[in-house]
Amino acid sequence: MSEKNVNRREFLKLTAVGVAVAAGTHAVTSTKASSDAPKGKHQWAMVIDQSKCTGCSYCTLACQAHNDINPEIQWNKVVEDGTVGDMHVFVPRPCMHCEKAPCVEVCPVKASYYREDGIVMMDYDRCIGCRYCQVACPYDARSFNWTAFTGKNPAVPEWGTPEVERRPRGVPEKCSFCYQTIDRGLALGLTPGVDPEATPACVNGCPTGARLFGDLNDPESIVSKMLHENPSYRLRENLGTGPRVYYLPAIPEKKEA
Amino acid sequence: MAKNLRSKLVITPWIAWLGFLGILLLGGLVAGILVFWKGLGITNLTDLVPWGLWITIDLSSIALAAGAFSLCAGVYLFGLKRYQPIARTATFVGLIGYTMAMLALILDIGKPERFWKALVYWNTHSLMWEVTMCVILYLTVLVFETMPILANLEWLRKRFPKIAALMERVHHYAPFLAILGLGLSSLHQSSLGAVYGVIKARPFWFKPEMSVLFMLSAIVGGISLTLFASMLASRLTNKAKVNDALIERAAQFVGYLLIGYFYFRAWDALSMTYTYDPGRSEGLSLLTKGPLAFNFWIGEMLLGMIVPMILLLYKPTRMNRFWRMTALLLVAAGVVAFRWDTNITGFLVVMPYISGQAVAYTSYRPSLIEIMAGTAIIAYGLTAFSLGVKYLRVVDHSLVEEEHAKVKVEAIEPLTV
Repeated sequence: MSEKNVNRREFLKLTAVGVAVAAGTHAVTSTKASSDAPKGKHQWAMVIDQSKCTGCSYCTLACQAHNDINPEIQWNKVVEDGTVGDMHVFVPRPCMHCEKAPCVEVCPVKASYYREDGIVMMDYDRCIGCRYCQVACPYDARSFNWTAFTGKNPAVPEWGTPEVERRPRGVPEKCSFCYQTIDRGLALGLTPGVDPEATPACVNGCPTGARLFGDLNDPESIVSKMLHENPSYRLRENLGTGPRVYYLPAIPEKKEA
Repeated sequence: MAKNLRSKLVITPWIAWLGFLGILLLGGLVAGILVFWKGLGITNLTDLVPWGLWITIDLSSIALAAGAFSLCAGVYLFGLKRYQPIARTATFVGLIGYTMAMLALILDIGKPERFWKALVYWNTHSLMWEVTMCVILYLTVLVFETMPILANLEWLRKRFPKIAALMERVHHYAPFLAILGLGLSSLHQSSLGAVYGVIKARPFWFKPEMSVLFMLSAIVGGISLTLFASMLASRLTNKAKVNDALIERAAQFVGYLLIGYFYFRAWDALSMTYTYDPGRSEGLSLLTKGPLAFNFWIGEMLLGMIVPMILLLYKPTRMNRFWRMTALLLVAAGVVAFRWDTNITGFLVVMPYISGQAVAYTSYRPSLIEIMAGTAIIAYGLTAFSLGVKYLRVVDHSLVEEEHAKVKVEAIEPLTV
């Protein structure tokens, strides 16, 4: 009698534990699945050293030319953020290519999506122009094409030649980490961040070397090393978006050195 | 000859009304063509305020169409059968509201020819996707629910009596349609609030109660608009016949609902004062002390909730048709004010992305094109309702008997215990 009771109790216990484990495993795996975080071989990231940035906006101009952007729109804005000592501090702001990008989550048609290498891409042919991504972006990184860009690009040819198609009227656009350069460079066996032919235009265009680009999965890449050796921060980190653009804060002594 | 013609063309108030709406519709047509031709660049929308007047019209039309699902649920699911004639009007108002929303959306999106992509490429993470799907599905439900009403068209009855009879038959499935309507509406009415509520980049919106507020205000405003429209129609034309006692009871219910809505809205605003939160506190200041203060205190709170609450719960004013109508119209207008305030406040506060920088501000005033197109969408709604009243007996509380199929349950044998 008592044996039977114990058996039943043990059976119940086992069942409870089993169910709990199953539920727990399911919860964990489903969280992973829903995050959709890219897990490709490369994980591109950008490091911007504010000690070196002089606010010259060459990066912006290179970007305007290579991506053939309407002069009313800037994918890559350079904003002044006060001074440290007598040094002016600037925040160049491309798209953050967030690990958990609000724009990807809110897009009703999956026109914004993650590439395996972490780049947040826009499918300009699928976008319906609802602008929800623009509303959701914490970094104002998206600009809407209120009108069609038909005129001459003033940044061409002085700052580079266009490598991508112009976007049509009625869709928002944003920085793409110059994915076309990265892909072409990788196909040629080059290393993005090391070989200029495989590196985003803004990084190549920076005269002071304030911008660095590379693969976070590669511990020997310049971005991995810089992030390992220096304190860094990301914009609006408290939102949990996980930006792939890191900033090394401005330190006046470093600039003089 | 000319004199003869003139004597034939008698301008009745009905003709004048349609003419007036026609002018507004024509203006909207011109504006709409310009928008499709020239693009959204001719609006006053910017990258900082990408959603403006049209989105408010879109949100308001859907909110004020909520009488359809709530009254149908009441009548067909919760056993409040005697309100069926009001639910009938609400269904028609609902169909108008959702088509108005569709018109506003088609104008507002940058690539209107691609609107169907939401049906093909599903991002189940996106509130916007969920709302789009629900709205399209619910619009379909509404079309079915309206079939028995459309069957009232004299021409259809005479020309295609069989089709008209078939359309009337749909009424027998009203309870099932009501279940679908309740489910779909609960989903998207609250999700429209969540469209704003999930945006963590903008703390003024980022809160769970957005869904609750949108849902509750939609039910309150939707029922109010239907009741108001019924009463107004019955005053203007003998084509509309209302059972005033029925409306009076429903209006009292709105009065009680208003207490709940007022509680949640006041609590929502007050809870924002609890701590300083960059963006949220500035938004609250804009709303309560800044350019939106009149809208908030007078439009939403005083005239949108408190005054109609008193008018509808105090028996002498509720029994008085003028005060009851005034109160119901104020409630509907208050819900529109809530939608406008919520949308625009979140944009007027420009959140800094550089830490330590102060919150900035922007402004928005709809352009003439936006106003013309927006007015035309409202004019379309008024035209559709006017025609419905005149030709489809949309507001006719005397119809109940012949329209509603009665199920006779006959006791075969008396029960013996």
